Amino acid sequence: MVNPVLLIAVPLGLAFAIPLFAFFWRPAAKYIPPAALVFNLVVSILLLAQVLENPLIVSIGGWQPPFCIILVAGPLGVLFSAIIALVGLLVSVYALDYIKEGPAEKYNMLFLLLLTGATGVVLTGDIFNLFVFFEILCISSYALVAYLRDKAGIESAIKYLIQGAVGSSLLLIGIGLLYGLFGTLNMADIAQNIKSVSPVSVFVPMVLIIAGLGVEAAIFPLNAWLPDAHSSAPSSISAILSGIAIEVGLYAVARVIFTIFGASSILLFLSLLGILTLLIGEMCAFSQNNIKRMLAYSSIGQIGLILFALAIATSYGVTGGLFQMISHTLSKALLFLAAGYMIYQAGSMEMSALEGLGKKMPLTCLAFTIGAFSLVGLPPFIGFPSKFLIVQSALAAKETFFSVLIGLALLGTVIEGAYFFRVVQVLYFKGEETNTPRKDAPVTALIPMFIFVVLSIVVGIYPKLVTDVLNSAASELINRLDYIRNILG
Amino acid sequence: MRRAVTIILLIILALGISRSLAKIPFGAHKTKVGKYYINEGIEETGATNIVTSVVLNYRGFDTLGEITVLFIAAIGLGAVLTTNVKGETRKIQPASLVLYTGCRLLFPLILVFGTYIFIHGHLTPGGGFQGGAIIASGFLLIYLGCRERRINRVASNLIESLGGLTFVLIGLLGLVFGSYFLLNFLPKGTANTLLSAGIIPIIYIAIGFKVGSELTSIIDNLIEES
Repeated sequence: MVNPVLLIAVPLGLAFAIPLFAFFWRPAAKYIPPAALVFNLVVSILLLAQVLENPLIVSIGGWQPPFCIILVAGPLGVLFSAIIALVGLLVSVYALDYIKEGPAEKYNMLFLLLLTGATGVVLTGDIFNLFVFFEILCISSYALVAYLRDKAGIESAIKYLIQGAVGSSLLLIGIGLLYGLFGTLNMADIAQNIKSVSPVSVFVPMVLIIAGLGVEAAIFPLNAWLPDAHSSAPSSISAILSGIAIEVGLYAVARVIFTIFGASSILLFLSLLGILTLLIGEMCAFSQNNIKRMLAYSSIGQIGLILFALAIATSYGVTGGLFQMISHTLSKALLFLAAGYMIYQAGSMEMSALEGLGKKMPLTCLAFTIGAFSLVGLPPFIGFPSKFLIVQSALAAKETFFSVLIGLALLGTVIEGAYFFRVVQVLYFKGEETNTPRKDAPVTALIPMFIFVVLSIVVGIYPKLVTDVLNSAASELINRLDYIRNILG
Repeated sequence: MRRAVTIILLIILALGISRSLAKIPFGAHKTKVGKYYINEGIEETGATNIVTSVVLNYRGFDTLGEITVLFIAAIGLGAVLTTNVKGETRKIQPASLVLYTGCRLLFPLILVFGTYIFIHGHLTPGGGFQGGAIIASGFLLIYLGCRERRINRVASNLIESLGGLTFVLIGLLGLVFGSYFLLNFLPKGTANTLLSAGIIPIIYIAIGFKVGSELTSIIDNLIEES
């Protein structure tokens, strides 16, 4: 039996050890993150087979919950940690050649710690511990956004820092109030007792916690930092921020709402917020001329769609939301990675500079196009089954309200299609015929990109590969009584 | 008009929040984990300082996270503030003789006090974070008083790295010896003596070194930039 704590302890220890390795052999720094993430991927996959039958609860320090911190490795947490390790691994391989300037040793430490924080958030069963790992995730992303040390990077990092810090403070106050109410920080223990106090007292902590987590999850109107931060970070970091950081934020929101508060009354409000986030994100993305800002706004749109799907709160809907999270992670990471070298080649993030790039860098542009098609939801890519599942679940829901909203969501998808096809058109059908030599991205970038491509096609054709895991992950999220029983016995 | 509306809205918000918070029994006997820690802490962990027993034993994983947060803050600051121009020297005005001598005199005393605080973290108020902060304040004094002195950055990075690594490795040893991460696998000794509480003093010493060198490197970065 593998202990899930290794998923956090090993990358954390390796991140601490990076200066030590670099002291003896300088290039070691950049090979440690891939090594740590390979380990995490293998352990997660080993665990996944096991936790599908029974969730694994481990105590830290050897005490009984609720007196200690526990890790809950259920299907949901382990699925997320596997995705984090997979995407992190591919992005870290990409970064081997991509990150050329700046203090690379510090980049690698921050990168690995960011992913460790994300893994901690999805595995922990303790609300204060969740806050701690959330801080690790957030603070390392503030620093990484400013990594290039240009004016745009520093400015957006400071914006992100201020909003993130306000969000974290709200979250901390909310957790403090919960502790005052229940005298415990164990999520299952709080969840068990939540009905024993008056709903009025629970309301304020709930609002504070959701608002605090909502900043990182980029839920409208808390997402003003996102377009700047995601567009001025190095592309490898944009891929992680868009593909992992906001998904983890959304996971935390879902965990708090479904498991701790069991709040069904605010779901309608959240689905409305989701649709609003979706429409605003897609419309802003449509009007962008800067390719990375466009991708960043499109992330906001996708987050809206995921939030909407989760708020349907039927087992279908939550499965669809989680599926959409995976499909967004794979496609958006691919898009940012491809865009990184396209911008590098074109020398500018403006759309007009990308004209005719399809002939100069055919493979990179092919990868970008597939990512775009997948995100829009065209078959046979992964975006199709996930969006299809969401539409299906919205139509099957009891409230007709969701059927109306899904119409609006489809409108958002149409806008999404419009601006992505525009980029594809610019890449392939614009610009004069010039005989510039072909110069594609280096192999270390092409391999991760094409692994993403293959994954999105394979899962797109055989969605069954993931739906079983997703179903049990969704039922972990919905059946809070099972969650409580598993932990407290 | 607008101001009046704002004030009214704020009052409504404040009333709502206070109504909700009024029912929360802060600090009451009801806090069940708190009561458990106070009653069982000394016996179960061997640390007389109950705060330490919670911070490093019952909730040691959080502390591992906290030192990581501080680590990230220090290296993040370093990453952002790294200057591209090397060897640029600024004119430094030397401090007066009184300040210079005073700083040199106080520096070793501050180091000893900081070390005392983190070594006795399990017995008296204080611990690794506090002791580390005191040590860093000693270095700050040197930076202000003996202005041409600089710390050895490589050494401070290595100390940081080793401190963090020690914490994780002790945690992993717990996994090896007793199948729990961060298990207190060493003998707990008699309470109230220096050599008690198992792994707690070792972790606090590692944290003390780590926090001290981290805060010092933050000071170093900020002074270089200013």
